[in-house]
Amino acid sequence: MASQQATLAQKDRKAFQDLLSCYELKQLTKGRKVADQILKKYPDHGETMCMKGLILVHLGQRDEGIKLIREGMRKDLTSHICWHVWALVQKGEHKYEEALKSYMQALRFDKDNFNIVRETSVLQTQTRAYESLVESRLHMLRLRPSFRAHWVGLAVAYQLSGNLVEAKRVLEHFQSLLREGPVNDAEYSEFLLFHVHVLEDLGHLQDALAFLDKKSKDRYIVDRTATHTFRARILSKLKNTNKESPQAAEWSTRAESEWRALLDLNPECSDYYQAVLANQGIDLGDLDEDSCTKALALLSEFAVHFPKAYAPRQLALTVAQGDRFRGLAKPYIEVALSKGIPSLFSNLKKLYANPLKCQVIEEIVEDIRASFLVDPASPSEPAKYLWTLYFLAQHYSFLGRHRRALEILNLAVEHTPTLPELYMTKAKVLKRAGDPYGAVRSMDEARKLDGQDRFINTKSGKYRLRAGMVDEAEEILGLFTRKGAATPGADLTEMQALHYLVEVGDAYRRIGKLNLALKKYYAVQKVFEAFREDQYDFHQYSIRKTILLPYFDMLKWEDEVQSHPVYVHAVVSATRIWIRLHDDPSLGKSLQPSAETTDASRKALSKAKKAAHKGNDPSQESQDAANKKVSNQSEDKGLDAPIPKDEDPDGVKMVLADDALERAAKFLATLKESGKRSIDACLANFDVAMRRKKYLQAARALTHAHAVDAQHPQLHLRVVQFGNTGESLWLISVTTKLSVAVSSVSDSIANPVKSVLHETLISLKPEEISLDVFTSQYLQSHSTSPSAILACAQACKFLGNPTEDVESLLFTALKDDIGLSVEDGLRILSYLQCVKSTRAEEFRIACDNKFELSTVFKSSEEQAALRHQCLLEEKEDCDDVETL
Amino acid sequence: MASHATAQTRLSFASLTPQNVGTVRKLNTVLFPVRYGERYYQDILQAEVEPFCQLVYYNDIPVGNICCRFEGRDLYLMTMGILAPYRSRQIGSQTIERIIESASSHTKPKIGRIYLHVQVSNEDAKRFYEQHGFKEVGIHENYYKKITPRDAWILERRLQNADK
Repeated sequence: MASQQATLAQKDRKAFQDLLSCYELKQLTKGRKVADQILKKYPDHGETMCMKGLILVHLGQRDEGIKLIREGMRKDLTSHICWHVWALVQKGEHKYEEALKSYMQALRFDKDNFNIVRETSVLQTQTRAYESLVESRLHMLRLRPSFRAHWVGLAVAYQLSGNLVEAKRVLEHFQSLLREGPVNDAEYSEFLLFHVHVLEDLGHLQDALAFLDKKSKDRYIVDRTATHTFRARILSKLKNTNKESPQAAEWSTRAESEWRALLDLNPECSDYYQAVLANQGIDLGDLDEDSCTKALALLSEFAVHFPKAYAPRQLALTVAQGDRFRGLAKPYIEVALSKGIPSLFSNLKKLYANPLKCQVIEEIVEDIRASFLVDPASPSEPAKYLWTLYFLAQHYSFLGRHRRALEILNLAVEHTPTLPELYMTKAKVLKRAGDPYGAVRSMDEARKLDGQDRFINTKSGKYRLRAGMVDEAEEILGLFTRKGAATPGADLTEMQALHYLVEVGDAYRRIGKLNLALKKYYAVQKVFEAFREDQYDFHQYSIRKTILLPYFDMLKWEDEVQSHPVYVHAVVSATRIWIRLHDDPSLGKSLQPSAETTDASRKALSKAKKAAHKGNDPSQESQDAANKKVSNQSEDKGLDAPIPKDEDPDGVKMVLADDALERAAKFLATLKESGKRSIDACLANFDVAMRRKKYLQAARALTHAHAVDAQHPQLHLRVVQFGNTGESLWLISVTTKLSVAVSSVSDSIANPVKSVLHETLISLKPEEISLDVFTSQYLQSHSTSPSAILACAQACKFLGNPTEDVESLLFTALKDDIGLSVEDGLRILSYLQCVKSTRAEEFRIACDNKFELSTVFKSSEEQAALRHQCLLEEKEDCDDVETL
Repeated sequence: MASHATAQTRLSFASLTPQNVGTVRKLNTVLFPVRYGERYYQDILQAEVEPFCQLVYYNDIPVGNICCRFEGRDLYLMTMGILAPYRSRQIGSQTIERIIESASSHTKPKIGRIYLHVQVSNEDAKRFYEQHGFKEVGIHENYYKKITPRDAWILERRLQNADK
């Protein structure tokens, strides 16, 4: 505790010790008094200043406290106390990297401070600094070798850093220290399972097996499911890797019986069935006639053995082909329809990838339906008839036969008008057919039949969002959110309802409220940041409680979490908005609330505003204020930085940002490796990089996109853009068409970079052909794909072809032999409008005629009317008979 | 399909709530030729009539309802109906018997009788109630205002436990 600037006298050192223990015991007001006394005598004592600052932070005087801590640190940079205090404050702000640095500084001045080493180890895990984590864990074990947790911690650190050999050595060493481990002890059992896991990962399969057998026999390992799972897996691996071994047959038999034991525990786990099959040499991914027969025989045995299990029957349906499939599917479907299993279609849907199976299923169910029509007067099983119609409606809807689906649904509703599923399916059919407003009406009809069904309620909200009815969606979702919440949206955000955030963000995007859309996409990011934060407490807890294997799974999940489709969608959608804001600087200004609207339509907008104003609505603010008053000054507020008030809840300032592209790039960068696996993320990356003139990055994005989907239409467009830019920039020296303006940019690109860019381009496009030829070749080989037509039109436009040609190319998408979908039509229409084509209206009307059930191609006035109508109650003509 | 007639049938009942009253509305629009006013839908949600206002489910599908109200010590059966495809399988019988049973054991008030109106053209309905112990006690002329025939039979069933 020596400090250079101000050394305390013996008596005052005692006072400082008191101050430390006051803090430990969280006697904050007393601690502050003691600190004040010391500071009276030694106003420059850095450690006391830091401690007082820390206490102030706890007491809620954060800014003042931090100021004092900074001053204190300046006075005494060699005190571990000062650095420790600073680390705590940074940790409270979730600045883990910085906090880690401060802890390292603290350790320089007090290297064996156990608490600091422990905190360091937690931060090293959180920041995935596994190499230095090993050092910290070694240090902790050296300081306190008698705790099991510290041995576990070191072994875990080795495992995480990939050093399995050392992990094994630590585990063995610790066990040799125990004369006898505890029997029937869940924590020790987990510890030993971890040991097995390490051996398995090392490839010491026989050792792992022997160890597992011995320890479970002696009742040290008590988790039965885990024992079976480990044993089954290790035996299978042993057998597969040592086919020549004399023990192979024995391993195989044992593996089989272990997998079967697992099936007895859970007969619905299809992985177990596949493992049994694999053990008998049957690979479901690679079947021939013979192995298919064997697989089906085995699965039917299981179906008899587990008469209630669906898994073996479903697996058999995926395996079987032709007549065998028909033979299995028929009774499966019959039984499910008789029982009235609503999810039958979703069960079978995955089989539809095979058009023959789809056909057979249709025939089976249509036959069942026909059997009812023979004698409709006495329907012996009305419920089965109803579920049959329900299935057929889903079936035809899935195949895009919307009219047929609606006809069947009408029959079903006539038969039983009270089943919500029928209206929900009708809503889905209408949605798919391009009528979001009819879909809203139908979903609402379902909701009215069963108001307490959260699923229908959520769907109802989603469909309203899809129809651009944000306020109405909020209203309906509010029926199920916390009553005390500021707004339904605020509650759903707090509940981390990602499906809501994405849908509402998309809804705002579609209706052009880009500011609000951006806010929602960034709200998704906040949720994922919270996921990352959530793991923090487990780094210590899991090791103390020896919950290791689930802990490893969690770390793995955390490392991959940003690859979640919702996150990727949010990032890509936000990027698209940033690009639009960058390309059209007037757009941000147009999103500002005008003076008139702020005044006149404020009231009308207040609901929508409220939705966006989550977290800082008046009611919550007054609540915060009340809290402040009630809590007396001695209350501990902890170290976590309070969530700063959102100064821009509607994002109207955000859309004026002049660094749109940088923000997009920053958001995209959070995708890390997973960004390379998503074509949309790659394309977004390219678009941002090109605008930022980061051509190497753009080239990399194209290469990644090419690896994901080489034939993607939008990739073709990007290659054309890349090639075209290249002709004017890095290839210019070859063609020697110098112009002063271009050459300066061109010269700024170093020659090695130019050659990399050139290499990338020729890996994507044959060098000898021009971009025009490249595009017409692409179009020729994808002539029936509407997306390809659009991408080629965009490419032609980009290459400076006449607008009439671009337009007539787009109009070919309307031809009968091209499978234009509603979405394709909307995309093309939106592009035509975007380039201010004079034929946009013509295209809209053509689509409106082509998609008879759709309403999305109506004029905006017509759509506004439909939106208005779809929630109006049908006026009921009621008889006011008093007696009724 | 006779071979499949063994499929199990489950009958269940649910009390009315503001959440499922939409199902009652939907049923009434197809079951009855008259439209009921908002008063009706408020009344059937009252706590005291809960045992006598029920939704009927056949294998979890809502197929019918029964709704009564108190008139002093009388229980007046306002509506009862089962969707056409689900008739002739004892659903209605089980439903009315359930109501009779609840009414018989009801105290505060003790219920003296259950009564109802049946349109004079509806012989089937009349026979159904007679099978369950109801007797015709009169005709209410011009009971219906918007449908013909306008007259209705009055049917009643006296309950055993009612004190004399």
